[in-house]
Amino acid sequence: MAARIPPEERQTNLVVALMATEIGLTKQQILDSVSGYRQRAETGARVDALEKMFERDKDELRALGVPIETIGDPSDPQDLREARYRIPKAEYALPDDISFTPAELAVLQLAGSVWSTESASADAQAGVRKIRALGIDGDEPIIGFAPRITTRTSTFTPLQSAIEECRVVSFDYLKPGEQTARKRTLEPLALLDFEARWHVYGIDLDADDERTFLLSRIVGDVVVTRKTFSPELREGAGDRALAGLIDVAERNRALLEITPGTEAALRLGRRARAETQGFSVPFVDLHIFADEIASYGPEVRVVEPAPLREAVIARLAAIVASHPLSDEGE
Amino acid sequence: MRAGPKPLLAADRVRAYLTLVPYLLERGQVSLDEAAREFGVSAAEMRAMVEKLTVIGLPGDNGYWQQPHELFDISWDLLDDEGIIEITNDVGLRRVPRFTAREAAALLTGLQMVAALPAVSDSGLVAGLLAKLSRAAADAPADVVIAPDAVDEVRDVVAAALRQGVAVAFRYQAPDAEPTTRTVDPVQVLITNGQWYLQGWCHLREAMRTFHLDRVSEPVLTDISITHADAPVPDAFGSAGDDIEVVVSLPSRLVPLLGDYARPENTEQHGADVTVGIRLADQRGIKRIAGRFGGQLEVRAPRMARAAAREWAAEGLALYRQP
Repeated sequence: MAARIPPEERQTNLVVALMATEIGLTKQQILDSVSGYRQRAETGARVDALEKMFERDKDELRALGVPIETIGDPSDPQDLREARYRIPKAEYALPDDISFTPAELAVLQLAGSVWSTESASADAQAGVRKIRALGIDGDEPIIGFAPRITTRTSTFTPLQSAIEECRVVSFDYLKPGEQTARKRTLEPLALLDFEARWHVYGIDLDADDERTFLLSRIVGDVVVTRKTFSPELREGAGDRALAGLIDVAERNRALLEITPGTEAALRLGRRARAETQGFSVPFVDLHIFADEIASYGPEVRVVEPAPLREAVIARLAAIVASHPLSDEGE
Repeated sequence: MRAGPKPLLAADRVRAYLTLVPYLLERGQVSLDEAAREFGVSAAEMRAMVEKLTVIGLPGDNGYWQQPHELFDISWDLLDDEGIIEITNDVGLRRVPRFTAREAAALLTGLQMVAALPAVSDSGLVAGLLAKLSRAAADAPADVVIAPDAVDEVRDVVAAALRQGVAVAFRYQAPDAEPTTRTVDPVQVLITNGQWYLQGWCHLREAMRTFHLDRVSEPVLTDISITHADAPVPDAFGSAGDDIEVVVSLPSRLVPLLGDYARPENTEQHGADVTVGIRLADQRGIKRIAGRFGGQLEVRAPRMARAAAREWAAEGLALYRQP
C-alpha cells in the first residue's frame, strides 16, 4: 500500500495545481489527478470522504489567505456539480508595485516584536518573513526600545475573528459600577487600546446604537454566532471608536486637588491641565476613574463633578468598613 | 537546556512552504541553518521540509505518476555535502503570497505601538507603511487601534541618551519614599500597559535597575559615556527574595482586574470568593491596590498591611468631612 501522504503535502499540491490552471479544475479532476487525493482514490477511498477532505482543505487554505475562486454554472450559480476551482495569481500574490526599503523593514521588524501572545507574534513574524522572501534585508535593527502589547487572548482572539468574519457576538458584561453581569449582543467593529485598557467597539443590537465595552469586564466566554453583518460597517470603525472615546473623555472633565510630589501627582500629571483651583483631568468612565482616585487615598480630593466625588467617598467608606479595627483579620 | 523551536502543525507547514519557495528562489543558495532560523524551525525540520518539497508538484495526467519535470527538485549534492539548499526545478509558487488578515493586523497594530518612539517617528515611514500593509492584505484585517501616546520631555531626553550612548541624570520619586537623584547608563526602554520604564545601570546603586518614567523629573543629558551597556537587563518586575506575601480575598468575578498579581499558583478558590497571595517589597503598598477595589477586596494578612489599607482610605475620606 502506498505511504500515507500528509495533509500539508496534499494542500500544497492543491495550491500548485489551482494556480497552474487558467480555466479552473473540476472537483473530479482534482480528486483524480492532484497528488494526495489521487492515491487515496486509487486505493479505493469513498468519493464522499474524498469530497469532504477537499472541502476541508479549501477552508483551511482560505484561512491562510489563499483566494480559491469557485466558477459555477452561469445559468445556475447554486449548482456546484460542474463548478471549476482556481486561484487567480493577481489576488494570491503581493501586488507588483508594493516593495519595502531596508529602513521600512527595520521598522516592521520592531513593530512585529511587540506581541507577547504567541499566536499574534507568529503572525507578525510570518508577515515579516514574506517581505524578506522578496529578497529584502532590513537595516540594522532598532535597539533600545522594547514595546510590549499584552492581550487577554480568551476574549481578544474570538472578538478579532468575529470582526474579520463580520459575525455578531454575545457575552456577559459586568458594567463598571454594577454588581451583576448582563448579556450583550454586539456587531463588533474594532478593538481599541485606550489608556492601557482594551476595548471592543461596535453596534449594540439591544440598544441599537454604538457602544464601547472593556474587555476586562467581559465575564465568561465570547460567543461568536452565525449571524453576520455588512462589512461596510467596519469601514473607518477604528477611527470612530478612538474619536468617540476621546470625545467622551473631554466632556467628562474632573476638577481635582492633588498633593504635589506624590504618586498621584506623577501618575495624573501626564493627563492633567492646571486650573486656578487644582487640576482638570479628562476621564472616560466615572466608575473606573473613581477606582483609580480611591487608590490614591489622601493624595487627591475631588472638587467636582459631584457624582464622581460621591463615588470616591462611597469607595473609601466601603474600604474602611470592610477592614474593621476590632477584627484584625487572620 | 533551552528548548528548541516547536514542531510545526500541518497548516503552519503549508504556510511555510508558500513563503519558503519564493524565499529560496529569490536568494539562490541558502544554508539549512539560515533558512531554519528565518522560518523559526529546527535545522532537522527544515531539512525534512526541503526533502518533502521534491514530491510536491503539478498534477499528473489522469492515472499516471507525475514526470520529474512536474515536481520541485533540489540539488541533493549541495544539501548532503554542504548543508545548502538550492531549488533546481520549480513548478509554481514563485510569487510571495499576500499577507493574511491576521499577519497584516499584527504588523499594523505593532506599527501604531512603535509610531511614537523617537527612533521610528523621526524616520517618517509609518504613514506609508500603514497604507502599504493594508493594500497588501488578502482580506481586510480587523481594525485594532492603539491610542497614540504623547512623548514628553522625559521620554525625549531618555531616547536621546540611548541614541548618543551617554548617561542620563534625573530626580526619581519612588512611591512613599524621599526623592533621590540618579545617574543611569540607559540600556533599554520597556513599554508595557501604556507605561514607560527605563532599564539601566544606576550609578548610585551600582546595579541594574528599572525606573518608571512617570516618576522621573528634571532629566539631564550628561556627557558621561555608557560603561555598563552590556550588563544583562533586569527582570522588569521580578521580585526580590525578601518580599512579603500579602493575602487578600475578593469575589472571583473581580480576579481578572488584579492583572499580573493573580496567577494560578497563588490563587485559591473559596466558594464565590478567591484568596490571592500577592508578594510585595513593601507590604503597605497593598493600600493602593485595595483602593482600586472600593471595599470589594479585603486585605486579610499580615496585620500591618490590613491596617495600612484601612488608614489610607480613612485619611482619604477625612478630606471630605465637613469642618
